[in-house]
Amino acid sequence: MSWDPLEAGGGWGEIPAFVAERRTSPRAYTVSAVNAMARRLLEGSVPPLWVAGEVAGWKRYASGHCYFSLRDASARLRCVMFRADAQRLPTEPEEGMQVRALGTLTLYERGGDFQLIVRELEGKGAGGLWRLAFERLRSRLEAEGLLAPERKRPLPRFPATVGVITSPSGAALHDILHVIERRAPWTRVLFCPARVQGDGAAQDLARAMRLFASVRMADVLIIGRGGGSVEDLWVFNEEAVARAIAASPVPVVSAVGHEVDVTIADLVADVRAPTPSAAAERVVPDGAAVGREVALLAARLGAAARRRVSRGREELTVLRDRLGETARAALRAREKRLEAAAGKLDALSPLAALRRGYAVPLGADGRILRTTRQFRPGAPVRLRVVDGRVDCTVDQVWTDAATDGRQA
Amino acid sequence: MAGRPDTNATAAGLEARLARLEAIVAALEADDLELEEALALFEEGIQHIRHARELLQRAELRVEQLLAAEDGGVVVQPFERGQD
Repeated sequence: MSWDPLEAGGGWGEIPAFVAERRTSPRAYTVSAVNAMARRLLEGSVPPLWVAGEVAGWKRYASGHCYFSLRDASARLRCVMFRADAQRLPTEPEEGMQVRALGTLTLYERGGDFQLIVRELEGKGAGGLWRLAFERLRSRLEAEGLLAPERKRPLPRFPATVGVITSPSGAALHDILHVIERRAPWTRVLFCPARVQGDGAAQDLARAMRLFASVRMADVLIIGRGGGSVEDLWVFNEEAVARAIAASPVPVVSAVGHEVDVTIADLVADVRAPTPSAAAERVVPDGAAVGREVALLAARLGAAARRRVSRGREELTVLRDRLGETARAALRAREKRLEAAAGKLDALSPLAALRRGYAVPLGADGRILRTTRQFRPGAPVRLRVVDGRVDCTVDQVWTDAATDGRQA
Repeated sequence: MAGRPDTNATAAGLEARLARLEAIVAALEADDLELEEALALFEEGIQHIRHARELLQRAELRVEQLLAAEDGGVVVQPFERGQD
């Protein structure tokens, strides 16, 4: 029916020799066979290669496969990136973006299309697709107001429970526990393990954040990991993690161990710390400093009370001289209370006792050891003396005959 | 492992305790209180100091693990720390 050079010889004058020869050829190839042959030829002769160009017509289908073209000033190459590879991309490239793609040339037999099957795609320029993904998410969150400074909440000064989300195996957890133990050992740490890199890490971290949000057991949260490459830290730039942090009912401190780049998690968190250790320092108070604060308040309380008590004594002396017997009895009761309070002033200052040469023995759990029964030969004991601590070992324990009569 | 921290010496209470202590000290230092009132405040102040010191002397960090349970709830269990 249609025009065929092999059939339409008549009207064209003499049939050329090569056409004539082909006319006598025993068979014609099928389209399928030709395409298959072309495909084998392409795939067999061209190894995987990098192709640089600009992206045109990027389209992701419901299947997850992505179709686009690479082009330069004079040519265009069809490309396909299958789902397994495309889902590793931090984001989709922009139209016209300069990229390089690693792939293999092939021919799509059904359509006869010559194309590149792309396995990896990198944006050119600083950060490439990573930078683009970061900026896209940042502007989206910014537009929603999730990065606004007025959203930042202050951290509690004395958290009873600190929630920690990180890998159970990394150095980050160890560092955090170490700092909290050194500064504020009365704190309770609630640790929720999560993967911090690789497939599923974003979902893991977000799930841990939601777990803390649902149980409300922590007063403040630390989420983070130690340092790593851009790809290692990437999970902290994932939208799921950012949104889980933004939704936290308690303040969140981000602790992603990196010096240069800020992550989306850092931007959304209430406080950004450069390392897990630094996060722990921000989250718990320094026990030694708090102890000094308490000592100062105790000294001021004692001084103020002493002043009031001595003024009270003077007042009582004056009143006693003026009053009758009933009133005097009432005054004596007051006086008694005054003296009792004065006696308590000493309680304010255990340091005064230490300064006089006394020492306080503390057990392994930090409790004061008051009787011989609390000592065991060979057990470690810490002595609190006026200017520091002395670690000792119990040699032998003797109980006074008057109290017990038994030798341990 | 000790059970729940006693209510007098929790970290959460420490902040309020120190704030109250500040207020008590300031009131006593103003030196314009009736003796009865001054003594009552003083005694209260001593209690706050005692409880604050108890908390600060607690030595052992408590570390627990928060895990999602099969039934959708949560499990809190002691967490074994690796050797330092």
